[in-house]
Amino acid sequence: MTDLLELAIAGLMSGLVIGLAALAVTLVFGIARFANAATGDTMTLGAYATLGGTAATGSLIAGGAIGILAGAAAGVIAYATVFRKLERRSPVAALLASIGVGFVIRAGLGLVYGHGQQVFQLPLVRPWRVWGIRIQPTDLEIAAAALATLAAVFLILHATPIGRQMRAVADDPDLARVSGIAPRRVMIALWALAGGVAAVAGCLLGIKTVVAPEMGWDMLLPAFAAAILGGIGHPVGAVVAGVLLGIAQETATPWVGFTYKIALSFAVLLLVLLVRPRGLFGRIEGVR
Amino acid sequence: MSIDRRQTLAGLAGTLALPLLGRSAFAQGAGTFRIGALNPVTGSGSPYGTGMQKMILAAAEMVNAAGGAGGRMFEVFAEDTQTNPQAAVLAAKKLIEINKVQAILGTWASGVSLAVIPLTNDAGAILMHTSGAPALSVAPSNAKGLGYRFQATNDRFGRAFAEIAQKEGFKRPATMAFNNASGIGNTEGFRKAWEAKGGKVLEAVVYEPNQPSYRAELQKVLAAKPDVIVTGSYLADTTIILREWFQTGDATRWIIPGWAANPDLVKALGPDVTEGLFSVDSISNEEAPSFQMYDAAYRKAVGQPGLSNVYGAMTWDMVVTLALAMEAAGPGADVAAINAKMRDVANPGGTKVYSFAEGKAALKAGKINYEGASSILDFDAAGDVTPDFGVSVISKGKIERRYVTKI
Amino acid sequence: MDAYLIAIAIVTGIYVLMALGLNLQYGLTGLINFGHVGFFCVGAYAAAILASRGWPAAATFPIAAAVAVAAAWPLGLVSLRLRDDYFAIVSLGFSEVVRLVATSERWLTNGVQGIAGIPRLFADLSGTTQALAVLALLLVLNGLAILAMRRIVASPFGRMIEAIRDNEEAVRALGKDPARFKIQVLMLGAALAGVSGAVYAHYIGFIAPEQFVPLVTFQIWMAIVMGGVGRVSGALVGSGLLMLFLEGSRFLRDLLPFVSEVEMASVRIGVVGLALILFTLYRPQGLMGDFTRR
Repeated sequence: MTDLLELAIAGLMSGLVIGLAALAVTLVFGIARFANAATGDTMTLGAYATLGGTAATGSLIAGGAIGILAGAAAGVIAYATVFRKLERRSPVAALLASIGVGFVIRAGLGLVYGHGQQVFQLPLVRPWRVWGIRIQPTDLEIAAAALATLAAVFLILHATPIGRQMRAVADDPDLARVSGIAPRRVMIALWALAGGVAAVAGCLLGIKTVVAPEMGWDMLLPAFAAAILGGIGHPVGAVVAGVLLGIAQETATPWVGFTYKIALSFAVLLLVLLVRPRGLFGRIEGVR
Repeated sequence: MSIDRRQTLAGLAGTLALPLLGRSAFAQGAGTFRIGALNPVTGSGSPYGTGMQKMILAAAEMVNAAGGAGGRMFEVFAEDTQTNPQAAVLAAKKLIEINKVQAILGTWASGVSLAVIPLTNDAGAILMHTSGAPALSVAPSNAKGLGYRFQATNDRFGRAFAEIAQKEGFKRPATMAFNNASGIGNTEGFRKAWEAKGGKVLEAVVYEPNQPSYRAELQKVLAAKPDVIVTGSYLADTTIILREWFQTGDATRWIIPGWAANPDLVKALGPDVTEGLFSVDSISNEEAPSFQMYDAAYRKAVGQPGLSNVYGAMTWDMVVTLALAMEAAGPGADVAAINAKMRDVANPGGTKVYSFAEGKAALKAGKINYEGASSILDFDAAGDVTPDFGVSVISKGKIERRYVTKI
Repeated sequence: MDAYLIAIAIVTGIYVLMALGLNLQYGLTGLINFGHVGFFCVGAYAAAILASRGWPAAATFPIAAAVAVAAAWPLGLVSLRLRDDYFAIVSLGFSEVVRLVATSERWLTNGVQGIAGIPRLFADLSGTTQALAVLALLLVLNGLAILAMRRIVASPFGRMIEAIRDNEEAVRALGKDPARFKIQVLMLGAALAGVSGAVYAHYIGFIAPEQFVPLVTFQIWMAIVMGGVGRVSGALVGSGLLMLFLEGSRFLRDLLPFVSEVEMASVRIGVVGLALILFTLYRPQGLMGDFTRR
């Protein structure tokens, strides 16, 4: 039982990272209406920028802020140079272009930093034991950072004018336009927000693992799966689904093994979609 | 929908014309012998590939400076395998067909060597590689006896791990392997050798790469309460696994292959986590004069000590052995005649020599035995070598060699 | 020299066969199949496993196609009723599952060790003649595929799938079930990828799971996007361009000596990315296409 609980904790931690990445995917999907495959590489960029920022300032918090800024800037630049011009085109065009954007980001990082791994030099601490279960202080910090990010995103979405405008555009772009919402400002805010969230996800992933040019791309599939499972365009759903997938993967390992645990998230995704095609939290919407 | 034939043809012609742009004229001089340096410059072999390639170039230059081998000068054509079988196959085709090389040197990953060796066999060319997969020793891969392995097989690595585990008094080993041919080859080799000693492996976990966490995998292996964990792993995954292991507070020991337990690992994790890890690698023939020459060349070309890249020493030896075999076979010998001389110049039963120039001179007097920089370089019937293994322990952030194990 | 060009032409032909399948799925029907490499993988493994057990190529090819079709059927059945972009992700997941099965089921696929020594096609020929025979076989296969595709386009079935692409609602209003047609198209395209995989396995002679990563799918996408979506000539030219690019970078290095090999890997992926962006932005119809209906 404690084993299973510890697996669940491990899954929860992976799930939070996946959930944050899925949140970045779902934000873009809800408003710009395409699956942004550059999310993974924006995560990588955020991790490298955080590393650089931490080295320059000596503080992980300041480094993280620099990472978030870098991710947000990457999002806005990608929007201004590429995605803005594809707004009237099919979602597939934007999706293909986003794969291209991701490749360009990865190429840039590879050229600047090389292909070797880099790590966050953080002090490693031994776990606390609570009722026989190992609780790791680092986990709590990562969870706190993830939850703070979520809180910030929901505050922005629900308590600021620009957030309300974003949600209005997500609900009904035409109605939003008629009500006088400037789409350009909303889109810039959206891309900055999504880029920042992706950067946090990348930074947390980098702290858990190692920083390398391919790290974010490898997380893209689980992130997409979580975004769909949660009901695309639904921020809470994305995070909950990410956590669910993470926990399901890890707690299933005693039965399915370590290779098929990756396949498990697709099995879960398929099953849920068969029963509930709009995802766990998704709204019923007309098939386009 | 229709096919516009003219445009199609133009497109295809464009594809075909590009290779012509590269090197346009190859007058195959009578006095040259072309070799291909096919190395993992990018992809997962990238920490070693550049050094391997530079050592092939440096050794070829050295042979040429000594007047060439069998009256011929080496001409080297370098390519990148990208550590990817398909890219390697096309690169090998280019080397064989366009550059007309007669030997390909320095493929690294087992998947790459397995994909390239049918091509070299067909062309009647020699393949010298540093891969571990046992399949490369036997037919169909080595049906023609044109393949030479300068690295220990995964089985031999496994045997070395078992020797060390026994010597260190471990009783309850478990294994963790990266799910690829090399990772599993190591831990399976260990299991075979350990069971041959009458022991039992408590748990064998195989993990997929690129996971956000390996805690479930660790938990499974630690649940068996092993006193040592033997891995077949790479740098990135070892970094993550050891960090997570340290955070569990468990006190198991680790035996890790040297390509993962290297200075980068210590740099990434710091002295606390890495304290007491065993790092095992096939070792270069460090005391030999041949190694001194290699080391000097490596420092000059790469700017790092030769010890930092065991594969560099192997590619250096590839060129020297090939050159000596060419010298022994005499001027104008074809590949088959050269291939027949490989064991004559490398295996015991002659004057020990440590460099090409020395060997060239000694060949006039009789049989020679080249003692390489990477190992004493004696090929068995399958074209495999048996290097010695060095056991290092990481202590206070330094990787210190404790002893050498022979298997 | 010749043999190298033939080798490139063969690999191009393998890509063209895959691109034709994807063109049928996406170009004509609008299916966003991001799991094409999965069918390729299934076909390659089917051919490799059977050929290693001594089956003749005449048998391995149809079986490779049949197995790929058999893999496509359940995938289509469960997922083609979903939204287009959901299917994209589900199919991508499918191809990863295929790769994981190839990795895990050692009894069947020899796991990560891969299958080596897959018998060649036309083994009684040798050298250039053998390579030319493989190339000729590919030309025939591609020719057949192109002919079949023309027949399809001209048939009622073809009009139906194009109607699905252009306006699925209208098709449904006519009382037809679009999903049924989509499943059939998915299976047809999978058959082409399966045959392509069989040629690949016989030609390269060694297959392992690591060769069947999603990047292959994206390369095929890049080929049809560059060449022109919805057009047979697009698949041809796009695959040619793709090979030109992949192989050309070998020769490019001779011209750009200041770029190291390691940097070249980054440059390579950066150029792929730029090509994808620029084509979608400025030439969405591709080089060959006049694809204005989308």
